[in-house]
Parts: sequence; C-alpha cells; structure tokens
Amino acid sequence: MAEAPIFPLRVVDGLTLPPEYRKALRPGEEWKDAVGVSRQLPRYFYEVPSWDTAMKIELATHFLLWEFIQVDVREAPALRTFPRYVPCAITLLAVCLERFREAVGTLVHISANGGYRSPSHRFSRNATPHAWGTAANIFRIGDTYLDNRNAIERFSLIARETLPGIWTRPYGTPTGYAEDHLHLDLGYVLSVPRDVNS
Amino acid sequence: MTKTEKPTAHAGATAASQRESVLQDRIENIEKESGAKAVAVALHDGETDFDLHYRADRWFHAASTIKVPILLGVFAAIDRGELLPHSRVHVRNRFLSVVENVPFRVESGRDSNSAVHNSIGKMMRVDELAYHMITTSSNLATNLLLGVIGPESVTQTLKELHVDEGIELKRGVEDELAFEKGISNMVTANGLLKILVMLAEGKAFSPALSRRMMDILHGQEFNQGIPARLPKGTRVAHKTGEISTVAHDAGVVYLPKRKPYSLVVLTEWDQGATGRSRTIASISHAIYETLTGTAVKDE
Repeated sequence: MAEAPIFPLRVVDGLTLPPEYRKALRPGEEWKDAVGVSRQLPRYFYEVPSWDTAMKIELATHFLLWEFIQVDVREAPALRTFPRYVPCAITLLAVCLERFREAVGTLVHISANGGYRSPSHRFSRNATPHAWGTAANIFRIGDTYLDNRNAIERFSLIARETLPGIWTRPYGTPTGYAEDHLHLDLGYVLSVPRDVNS
Repeated sequence: MTKTEKPTAHAGATAASQRESVLQDRIENIEKESGAKAVAVALHDGETDFDLHYRADRWFHAASTIKVPILLGVFAAIDRGELLPHSRVHVRNRFLSVVENVPFRVESGRDSNSAVHNSIGKMMRVDELAYHMITTSSNLATNLLLGVIGPESVTQTLKELHVDEGIELKRGVEDELAFEKGISNMVTANGLLKILVMLAEGKAFSPALSRRMMDILHGQEFNQGIPARLPKGTRVAHKTGEISTVAHDAGVVYLPKRKPYSLVVLTEWDQGATGRSRTIASISHAIYETLTGTAVKDE
C-alpha cells in the first residue's frame, strides 16, 4: 500500500479546470520562447485554496509557498483570486533556492512577479520559465539589494557554482539581461507527480 | 453683496469686471516684484462663478502638477473596473525612457518619501501609490502607476472628460533623456483649472470617486504655496510642482460657509531664483482677499 503523501496540496489536471483558468494557464499548450523555440507549458498544478494556506506551506525549510506566488495587477484576473494554481515543478525550484540560501548564508528574497507567473501575465511576452514555476527573480539577499553589477554578478557566480545546470541572466540593460535583480532558472521543467493518472 | 441678493445683470457684470481689474493689477504687481520670467493664473470661484484668466493659456513645463491628470487616469481605470483601489502593484525602480526605450531609475534622494523606495521588490496598493504620488509627490509611485495604466489611457480619459485642452502628457517623470531632447509634460493654467473644477464639483466619474481624489489632494504635505498665507483652518486640496525653472501650485480652496474656489498658479524662473513659493502664496493671498473682501494678517 502506498504511503499517504505528506504534501497537503491537491494536484489538478489543468485541462479539467473551468474555462477562465484554462484560458489563463494554457495547460499543456505550446508556447514559443524569445528565439522561436516551441516549449510545452505545464499541465499539472497544485491547487492553493487560500492565502492563509500559502502562508503556512513550507516548500523548503526557509521558503514558504506565498513567496513564489506574489503577482500584481498585471496577472490575469482569474489567477489573482483563490484558489490559485501553481505548476508542480515549483517544489524543485524551492529545493534549489534552499541550497542557494545555504551557500549565501542569509535570507534570499524573491520579488513580486518574480516567482510563478502565468503565460497570461502582462510581463510574459514569450515563453519564460517563470510560467513553468522554475524561475526566480531575487531582488535582495540579506541586506544587499541586487541592483548593481557587482552584487548581481557575485551572487550569480555563487548560484552557478552551487546549483548544477542553473541558468542566470547576465547583468545588463538590453532585453535578455537583468540590472535590478538576479534571475535564475532551471529551464522548462515539467513535473508530473506520481499520483497523476491521466 | 450677500449671496441672497440678486443684482441686475449689469450691476453683477460691473462688479465682476471691477474685481477682475483689481486682481489683474495685484497679480501684475506681484509678478513684477518677484522677478519671475512668467506667471499664469486661472481661477474659478464656485460661490460667485467669477473667473479670472491671467495668461492662462500659456504653456509651462508641468513638473509634478502632471500628477493630477495621472490621478484622474488612475481613477478612470478604477471606474472602468480595470483596477481596484486595493489592487497590488510590483514596486520596481526600472523604467524605459520614451527616447529609444533606454532604462532609467528614479533617484531615491529626489523622493521626499522613502515609503515607496523601501518597498522595492514588494507590492503596494494602487490607492497607497496614488496617495504617495500626490501628498509627497513620489516620482517612483507616479511612474509605477503610469506603468500600469499607460500614458495613452490618461490622454484618452482627459479627452472623454473634455479636459484635454491645456494638458500634454508625454512621458513619466525623471526621464532625463527625454528632458534633454525637449520632450516634457506641459500644462496651461486653464488646462489644470478645468480638472480641478470638475473634481470640486464631484463630476469626475462619480461624486464618490471625485471625493476620493479630493481626499488624496487634501493630504498634500507641501504647503508653502497656495495655503501659506490663507487664514488658519482653511482647507486646500492641492498639488505642487517644482523643478529648477518652474514652481506651480494648483488646488481647491475650501472656506467656511461658502462654496470652494479653484486656483492654479504657474510660474517660470531663472535657475537659482528665490522667492518662488512666496510669489505663489502672495497671489493666493491676493485672490483670497479679493474674493472674500477680507484682509488676512500674516503671522
């Protein structure tokens, strides 16, 4: 007999969600990235019933779920109210950030709009790992604001040394670069938990 | 003349004309003594319907008075249901210049309120940002709100409300590259006056939303201009605007037992000139005395 899962959130198949959610989340659809490569969007999501729940659930020792789902008025209206849906790969991101936190030895702050945001978010022009739940924009580490080359490049190097396969956005102002945060991501990872049967 | 007396049209017109002439003279004198390069005044008295337009169609760099039209644009989005007062906005200090989309930041040292800068990376509510944009003239709050609603939506709102004449919104604030290229937000005294009158009369979207905007304008913390030489207890809902070469104030003055009057004073100066706020306060003082027939003793 299988052990009961400890993780308390229900996994949902995005294709079974009501139309307003499907329209915003586009589960399983293809989406082109900035260079025109097609990427498949996540189909399976954890259902977050309330902000209270998000405030309580630890995805890792030092990261609670709410930190990954702070989105502003640019997110699709259906995804700004509860229940909210977050791709199952978010747990992998949290584990990576926990390891990163150990390496830097202090608090790691994810910015608003800098964790999971849907493909319908107004910031999401092309496929971005943020819509897979596998990217984080970090605006502050301890007391250091990541708003200058020195800070961004220093912590970017730590991230790449600590997390095999992680990608960080280079410092700079053109599109594809970052100058006021450290962007790191695991790529377009799809996570399909064991209890998914369809 | 008391409010209940009904003068003949001719007598009323003569009185208004005399009052206009007296005020024009006083403003001219204040202007001459101040050394300002230009002064413009627009006034509408809700109590008597008296209007004064002193170079009121001359264009000035808007400085922070442009935040009044932006406030209107924010509340238009609220009226349309696109935003809620408690909608959250990501506080990020990165904006794109209208010149070639070059990124720029708002210097924290130039915002007198650190609350918005302290929230970088986090979120603030639309109504909080609107409050900071007006009461302490936060440039960061202004650009964040403009980023959410878009300058074109503000322009569209002004057109729909028929208050677009005399207001040119071209960009966010602190876009130095645009400033160097001569791309600036511009206003006339008449343009700003129309917006203030509409707000004072509760005609911007709805009486309730007009009141909310007026409440924000009442929170103004820079009171060296229009309110400075008015009697104690006078309530003024207003917005100032200052850069090195201009100093403005635009507001609605509420006095006991009479309808409010709306007043815009725009001034232009040589760099480093002094007495800018004092000039605005003197004009405001002259207008108060003329409208009420009461002299105010300076403290």
